[in-house]
Amino acid sequence: MATLRLDGRRIEVQDGDTIGAAAFRAGVRTFSRSLKSHRRRGLYCGTGDCANCLVTVDGMPGARACVTEARDGMRVTRETGWPSADRDTLAIMDRMHWATPVGFYYKVFSRPRWLWPLAERVIRRATGTGTLPPTEHVTATPTRFLRVDTLVIGGGVAGLAAAAAATGRVAVAEGGSIGAAAIDPEARAAIDRLAVQARVAGVEILERHAAIGIYEGPSVPLLGPDELVEVEASRVIVATGAIEAHGVFPGNDLPGIWLGRGAARVAAAGVKIGDRAIVVANTDAGERIGAALRAAGAHVTVVTGRVLEARGRTQVSSVTVLTPQGRRAYACDALVLSLGWAPRDSLLRMSPDPEVVGAGEVVLPGCSLTAAEDSGRAAARGESVEARLAEPWPVLEHEGYVCVCEDVRVHDLEAAWEEGWTSSEILKRYTTATMGPCQAALCSRHLAAFTQEKGAVPGATGRTTARPPLRAPRLEELIGGVHEQAERRTALHERHHALGARMDHSGLWLRPGTYGEFREEIRAVRQRVSVMDVSTLGKFLVGGRDARALLDWTFPLDVASVAPGRARYLLALDEAGYVMDDGLLAALRDGTFFLTSTSGGADRMEAWLRNWIDRLDLHAHLVNQTAQLGAINVAGPHARDLLAALSGDDLSREAIPYPGHGEIEVAGVPCRALAVGFVGELSYELHHPRGRSVELWDALLDAGRRWDIRPHGLDALDVLRLEKGHVYLAQDTMPDDHPTKLGLDWAVAMRKPDFVGKRALERMAQLPLERSLVGLRFDGSPQRGHPLTVDGAIVGRITSCTESEAVGGSIGLGWVRAVDGVFPAQLRAGELTATVVPTPFYDPGGERLRA
Amino acid sequence: MSLLVPCPTCGDRPFTEFAFGGELRDVSSPDTASDFARVYLRENTASAQEERWFHLLGCRRWVTVRRDTTANRFER
Repeated sequence: MATLRLDGRRIEVQDGDTIGAAAFRAGVRTFSRSLKSHRRRGLYCGTGDCANCLVTVDGMPGARACVTEARDGMRVTRETGWPSADRDTLAIMDRMHWATPVGFYYKVFSRPRWLWPLAERVIRRATGTGTLPPTEHVTATPTRFLRVDTLVIGGGVAGLAAAAAATGRVAVAEGGSIGAAAIDPEARAAIDRLAVQARVAGVEILERHAAIGIYEGPSVPLLGPDELVEVEASRVIVATGAIEAHGVFPGNDLPGIWLGRGAARVAAAGVKIGDRAIVVANTDAGERIGAALRAAGAHVTVVTGRVLEARGRTQVSSVTVLTPQGRRAYACDALVLSLGWAPRDSLLRMSPDPEVVGAGEVVLPGCSLTAAEDSGRAAARGESVEARLAEPWPVLEHEGYVCVCEDVRVHDLEAAWEEGWTSSEILKRYTTATMGPCQAALCSRHLAAFTQEKGAVPGATGRTTARPPLRAPRLEELIGGVHEQAERRTALHERHHALGARMDHSGLWLRPGTYGEFREEIRAVRQRVSVMDVSTLGKFLVGGRDARALLDWTFPLDVASVAPGRARYLLALDEAGYVMDDGLLAALRDGTFFLTSTSGGADRMEAWLRNWIDRLDLHAHLVNQTAQLGAINVAGPHARDLLAALSGDDLSREAIPYPGHGEIEVAGVPCRALAVGFVGELSYELHHPRGRSVELWDALLDAGRRWDIRPHGLDALDVLRLEKGHVYLAQDTMPDDHPTKLGLDWAVAMRKPDFVGKRALERMAQLPLERSLVGLRFDGSPQRGHPLTVDGAIVGRITSCTESEAVGGSIGLGWVRAVDGVFPAQLRAGELTATVVPTPFYDPGGERLRA
Repeated sequence: MSLLVPCPTCGDRPFTEFAFGGELRDVSSPDTASDFARVYLRENTASAQEERWFHLLGCRRWVTVRRDTTANRFER
């Protein structure tokens, strides 16, 4: 015999039971305590629409007991009430409505102020539903994408008929199991027949997949048992059906009061919901419900009329109904309501898209099976079914709970109205009616009815806006895929590890920060020879008839001045004339161009170039070789000696000029050697096929032992480039830096007829230069970011600084603002003095580069 | 949640694969004075407008498409 534990108590589970059915059979009547007043709440809707039966299942809160299948060994706990839901000491709150008047969180506990943190803690403990499990390791639910022509939400008669008739790729999402909600045999037979038709038609049927919203597109996220499905649909047919209208009368929230279909459904599972059941039915469903209850062994009386009042202590014991024959009182232990129909139309109201249409009871509440089937087919054909208003419009008695989730009574709405909150949207926010876990499934129409009855101004009486999510999804259901950290590694990653490098994140790339002692690495570059993995640089090949025209337009560099075999520093400006990126341009001997960008700017550079190719309709081709090529920079006074030891090719300045390039073979690896100098020494950037990086690296380190070679990382590079006064874009620059502010005018050929940003530069040249990036020398070691002051007034800040052995002393770069139109020559950085000096600090003539 | 961008190479793809390139504007200005407006001032149309999208996580092609900015729909 299967059993589950409810609050530690073992209860029996029969085949096909929901948790709610099993618990009810075992005598549980109070499933939860209400939010504010801690009133008893029992099974009510029985269809997963209300929030009365939220329980924690195996540590996870928020399961609806009435629709969650019971399984052997489940641990179920009720979420509210202390010490238990049955005996809740806070039930005293039900006698203290004066302490929690409508809108009380705006009114009480506000003074004295210091008391609020304490009050908040107490309130938080007293309210809420369930406790989240203390999870350390969250397993993200996988996300799947599904593209369909038609998505049908709801696997009932109308939904399946629509799915079977729709053309193209079709999917049906059903929150439960197909047919599980159908009580009477006729509906069951129709569903079985239509489900077969749909399957034959190739429809994908997703059971236990609940739609939690409709977003633009239309796009619908479905919460499945172990996946989140994001559906992109050309058309959505909402066939979510209807439930019985929520009845509002004194005592309407007592356990033992049910909505008709739910009661019939629980009865169909063999549960006797009471000995004496009164069914109050104004729909044609009364006898069907009555029959279902009788089959489960209850004594049933079906009456027609308006419920005036229900009474009872722990559960309903009597009801007064205004029948056509007059006022009648009945003793009962179950009161079943079928007062009218309320369409489950939240999804339908969520989307203004014409591609989202309704079918079945959601637009024709209470309609026959044939009408539901017909409307499904009509929706599949693309006809929109005219929504029929659900009648009758809710009637509110003088007292009773309008919003069961948030404990909002008719009285509270009246009080709020008196306070001046006279529209449905404002009433909603002030009273929190419709804002509970059921997300207005029960009470949305009641709030609208109330404002209409009260005579609110036109436009203020509508239904409140429905928004996703309809159900509370768990965070792990939403994070599928989001947590994955993309990471890029160069071909030499394992080599860096083997050398003991500290790997740093640099954008998406992992790059060596240092291999141990970065000062030693600097000495290797300055005095001997060193290598650095620069495979992360953006690398592009540009060819085609209009290649030169493209580059001439896109960059401020005079491309004509770069002869084949030569290379030049390349600045990329945006249309506002601001520096966007930098790199190198090499004119290859076959008429094509090779250019590099910063490591982080590669994607943007590609998009930038492609944009201009497209906009100017140029005959130019771009190949992004960033991932295809590896690059190793060989730098130091012995760089040429090292290459000579591994290459038979001509390495002289005639073959590889500075700045320029040549095609050579190093250790048998074909390389494009760019003779350029970010670090300020004789250096060759060897661009080579990525697959051969390791053998090239190994050969260089092996042959370099003669000069005590050492690879260098980012830490050393930061000092080396700073000694040369080279800027790090983004670290030394700001988003609105034009070349003049950075002292990079030499890289801009204003004589060219036009290029991206030229007009902007002309315009900005007419403005006074208000700030400038300058070289600085300090009489001590400052911190990067330290403000620079003149007479105590902040006029700038340090963007980069370091102790330099090669230069001797403390150097840096920093922003300086003009003071009275003059740029200061000396500033203070706290206790230190900063003197403005020209850059580069090291080898200003560049003789070492040209060596 | 999602919006499908019509890409001539790849078909309708989720907008998350694209980089938005903004309103379609002239590539250059006749003179310096009018350049400011071209670079900085947007039409910000509340209806259909031509705009640029770059299929970054796809074919890496730029497309010019018409989108209704109020309904957030592409014209196909």
